[in-house]
Amino acid sequence: MIQQLFGYLGYYIPEIVCVVLMTSLLVAESTVKDEHANRGKIIGFALAGLTICLGFLFANLGEEPKIIFHNAITIDPFSTLIKIIMVMGTMGAIFLSYSSKDIYSNLKSEFAIMAVGVLIGGMLLASSNNMLTLYLGIETLSILSYVMSSFKRDESTSTEAGLKYALYGGLSAGVALFGMSHLYGALGSIQFGEMITKLPGLEGLNLAVVLISFVLFFVGIGYKISLFPFHMWTPDVYQGSPIPVTAFFAIVPKMAGLAALIRISMIFFSEVKILTVSWVGLMLAISALTMTVGNVTAIGQTSVKRLLAFSSIGHVGLMILGVVVLNDVGIRAILFYGIAYMFMTLIAFYVTSHLSDMYGNDSSEVFKGLIYKHPLMAIIMAGVLFSLAGMPPFSGFVAKFNIFSVIIEKKMYGIAIVAAINSVIALYYYVKLAKTMIFSQADGEVKVSGFTGGHQAVIVAMFIPVLLLGIFWEKVMILSGNATIFIK
Amino acid sequence: MMSLASYLIISMVLFVVGLMVMIARKNIVAILLGIELILNAAALNFVAYSRYVTSNLDGHIFSLFIIVVAAAEAAVGLAIVIRFFQIKETIHVDEATQLRN
Repeated sequence: MIQQLFGYLGYYIPEIVCVVLMTSLLVAESTVKDEHANRGKIIGFALAGLTICLGFLFANLGEEPKIIFHNAITIDPFSTLIKIIMVMGTMGAIFLSYSSKDIYSNLKSEFAIMAVGVLIGGMLLASSNNMLTLYLGIETLSILSYVMSSFKRDESTSTEAGLKYALYGGLSAGVALFGMSHLYGALGSIQFGEMITKLPGLEGLNLAVVLISFVLFFVGIGYKISLFPFHMWTPDVYQGSPIPVTAFFAIVPKMAGLAALIRISMIFFSEVKILTVSWVGLMLAISALTMTVGNVTAIGQTSVKRLLAFSSIGHVGLMILGVVVLNDVGIRAILFYGIAYMFMTLIAFYVTSHLSDMYGNDSSEVFKGLIYKHPLMAIIMAGVLFSLAGMPPFSGFVAKFNIFSVIIEKKMYGIAIVAAINSVIALYYYVKLAKTMIFSQADGEVKVSGFTGGHQAVIVAMFIPVLLLGIFWEKVMILSGNATIFIK
Repeated sequence: MMSLASYLIISMVLFVVGLMVMIARKNIVAILLGIELILNAAALNFVAYSRYVTSNLDGHIFSLFIIVVAAAEAAVGLAIVIRFFQIKETIHVDEATQLRN
């Protein structure tokens, strides 16, 4: 028994690497002297640790799916690929936190500690196989996120962001938990595998309780990926948090929440007719509303952080259409979208971070005439904006095309039309920002300073996937297609 | 003799009271108390179902985890509230209006 448990640890190495990394970062934080050079070393150490974790994840990608720790954790190619996306996003955000002036310079590595902690929560959530690990994953993710969003502790906006996040988060976690408790009562177990065996026999009052409980349960996840009725916190928190934190929030908690949503939908809603019908109807309505609200509200925004927050709401609304079809092709489309979205978001926040450090605010005015001030930055940012809008030849186009093709294959024409209209709206505000960068005259002759070789190399390196995935997409498509979900 | 129904009614009342506190009260500490009420309602449900319906220990374990997580969440929430109070000198939730369109 004990030997078996230790044997399972072999499948759990990436998470163990992250836990060890977080602990050693804590020790380093409290023992190393407070100097700028040391800050660089600690962050380099964090990046090295995450690279090791990434290596183990890539090695795990080809493994047979397996359920470990008394059915608590699933290790399958799907969760491993989600973890790879999350680890890469964390690395990008940690690197950004080193150069950004938005995080106080007297903080050495708190960002890295918290980010790795959130990553551990996200990994738990992505491979959870019962309600307990799911709940612990959501809470690990959330509680550390509250701290991250109030990092600028002397500024009222950041504290307010943390406060709002904590209050909304606590409420939605509580509601989700209440739903879970009734699911446990009605289905008699917290293991997903045992719960589905009870589902077909349900009728009458029990069925009603289960349906309502699933809706309550859904609140917790919907809040984490900011779906329509629970999206109110997103723009406020994104605007109030320091930019590296915002970049991090846009990727890691979203991908983890999406993974949990996909797993739950695939496990519970592909068997029983009445559950499937009500779930698909609910998801279609929520997806349409999320996209529309996100994209329409994004139009009037002047703060670029807020604009990216609303655009991320729109993107998630489109992504969950891959869940609605409840098949492997839909999951493949979501995974591809996630990979492309991660690179695009990181670059967009990278550029925004540098400009807002320079000018002291993040309104779209600071993008004026960027092409004259720093041509490379402007060209790459324009490429990313077009990619986010879903224009060929960038990867955003292929990502959107995949989602559209899966829903049209299922003959869901209504939602396809809504999604197409939303793409047009999104194109408008992205192109407006690109136009500000390229066609407006700069206010003065100020050059963008400090964006030197290293930074340029990083954004170019991140831009290569954005460009190449739009042209040579087969490899990644096969990779995401192989990342099947394992349901017992 | 307590039956399952009475536990479920109590937990339902706790849940609704918690929701009402979160909606109606303007004091941030009171709102955090509302969150605790909701979490306790769920924990009570788990234990009651574990005792009367399912004959396994899952519910007990779950409620222990809920207590631990609730403590962690309260710690972080109160730390943020203290920061908010030091900056704004109030813990009225209507003062948190800087971030808007």
